[in-house]
Amino acid sequence: MRYAGRALRSVLALPTLAWMVLFFLVPLGLIVVYSFATISLVTYDISYGWTVSNYRQIHDPLYFDTLTRSIFLSLTATIGCLLLGFPLAYFISRQPARWQRLLLVLVIVPFWSSFIVRTYAMVNLIDNGGPLEDVLHTLHVWSGPLNILYRPKGIALGIVYSYLPLMVLPIYVSLERIDYALIDAAGDLGANSRRTFRRVTLPLAMPGVAVGCIIVGIPALGEYVIPEILGGGKTLMLGNVITDQFLSVGDYPFGSAIAVALMAVMAAALVLARVVQRRAPV
Amino acid sequence: MTDQYRPSPARTLRRRDLLTRAAQMGVALPAMSALVAACGGSSGSSSSGGGSSAPPTGTAVLLNYDGWMGKDTIAEFKAKYPGADIKQASLSSISSGSIVPAIKANLSTYDAALGDVAAVGQGMAAGIIEPLDWSKIPNIANVDDKFRKGYPQGIPTDYGKTGIGYRADLVPEGITSWADVWNLAEKYSNKIVFTDLDRDCIGSALKYKGFSANTTDDGELQQALQALLDIKPHLQALKSYNIGAGLAKGSYVIAMDWDYDIALAQAENSNIKWVLPSEGATAYLEGFFAVKDTPQLGVLEEFFNFFLEPRQYADFVNTTGTAFVSNTATPYIKKSISGNPALIVDPATLANVEFENYLGEATATYNKIWDQFKSA
Repeated sequence: MRYAGRALRSVLALPTLAWMVLFFLVPLGLIVVYSFATISLVTYDISYGWTVSNYRQIHDPLYFDTLTRSIFLSLTATIGCLLLGFPLAYFISRQPARWQRLLLVLVIVPFWSSFIVRTYAMVNLIDNGGPLEDVLHTLHVWSGPLNILYRPKGIALGIVYSYLPLMVLPIYVSLERIDYALIDAAGDLGANSRRTFRRVTLPLAMPGVAVGCIIVGIPALGEYVIPEILGGGKTLMLGNVITDQFLSVGDYPFGSAIAVALMAVMAAALVLARVVQRRAPV
Repeated sequence: MTDQYRPSPARTLRRRDLLTRAAQMGVALPAMSALVAACGGSSGSSSSGGGSSAPPTGTAVLLNYDGWMGKDTIAEFKAKYPGADIKQASLSSISSGSIVPAIKANLSTYDAALGDVAAVGQGMAAGIIEPLDWSKIPNIANVDDKFRKGYPQGIPTDYGKTGIGYRADLVPEGITSWADVWNLAEKYSNKIVFTDLDRDCIGSALKYKGFSANTTDDGELQQALQALLDIKPHLQALKSYNIGAGLAKGSYVIAMDWDYDIALAQAENSNIKWVLPSEGATAYLEGFFAVKDTPQLGVLEEFFNFFLEPRQYADFVNTTGTAFVSNTATPYIKKSISGNPALIVDPATLANVEFENYLGEATATYNKIWDQFKSA
């Protein structure tokens, strides 16, 4: 009977497994194989010579600078999301249950509309003379034109705007699971609220912070749409270079090599995050 | 008759979106002098049926810009040839660098494609182009000779120039050349937009420096790159769509743009002026070609012939708003298009444009320069 149950579970997993193999592992394998090939940009004949020349080309300052810029923008946006997301998640987690549900719905409301539409909406929002500039002028926080759109800071702002819910939700889950008896205990033992937050709340929220940083930082690293729309085509991230190699230049092997290199950077980030998670108290 | 055709801005925008990397490179026209010399000569107007005896049957897949077709063309073709159909497919970008490898990797998927002369040159090098039987496409005679000679591997559909659009009410100095754009860049910093296409930008910079837009000389290309790097801090953005609309709105006051996009924008704002720069401008010519070994060659030849019938071709022009290659269709084309100075085809204009050639191995150099410009 137990054997039959196990067999049934295996059968139920088959469609997903087949899907993953067919549409994830096989294409991934092809990308890796392509990355070691060369292509003639005259005839578009591909030679599978297992060369590493495409990987060497990534070290060209032209592409290496783009990789550096992508990492910088991704980190900046992740930190921005964390700085905005943590207080929001903390605030939500301290509300009564029914208010929490409502506030969480509000957090995910932006996902109800198209990502492209939301990004295009940002163009009008942050453009000189746009609503954001008006508000900052009214509050006397800023004078003169904002000059954010079509600049790297516009891209970072766009990533923060688009990815913020992905940071808020995992942090909220961590905070919501905290046994508040621990916080009371910290108070009973003489810790003030700041010390309690630093020594109890924050460490317990770290798994959520780590997950949030991963699911914001990693996709942001390969972001293509936001730099294309909010960067005005003037600030390349690695996702744009990969797209150009596939759709404009037709150099599939080099585009594949950059994609594999990007995946390697992401994998390294995941390993790092895992180490952080393991060190954090559960 | 023509009033029923309304160019759809939405269609045009989609086309612009898909034009992101189109018109990048051009196959060498036989000779610019021959092109100019041939200017003005067009074959007699006719609307001839194809030469095949049996009506064609089958469905041909045409790789095309989204919406880059007369609004009734396919339906009327199907009505005329009930056994035949044209199914359109589109890539996110249609350039020689995208369509040729896509077709080469899937020769059995596509039967025909839209491509500029660069794509055709690239396609010839890659061996993906099927010769057409011109006896079955008698309406090719409706295409002006200069364009037929420039696009001998398929049927030319449209052409365009990359020039300057500016707001005359906001740029009182006036603009007549690329040099003016560079000279005024500091004054109008962050109010200038260039196209997000490598050959357009590099070609225009080459023209500004007084070189051929098809040069393969490294020194000249480096000068063009430097010129682009000099002006980049003053550019608001590199855009591949909605350029004319932004000009009309006043988001920027000077733009590198395509002739027909400026023509559309002028309908929104009469202060927009089109300039064919005194140093010269780059131009593209595109058309439909058949894919090597297509089993639907008969359907395609009949469709190409049908497409070039004056009324059908006018439907295409009226729908897309493009500059046209067949003067026999002029009576059916909207006056706002056929009479627009930005779209006009005359010897003086053609003498001042240089069609983008297919560059072969030098394409890699242009790609590198483009990456250097965009990454800076």
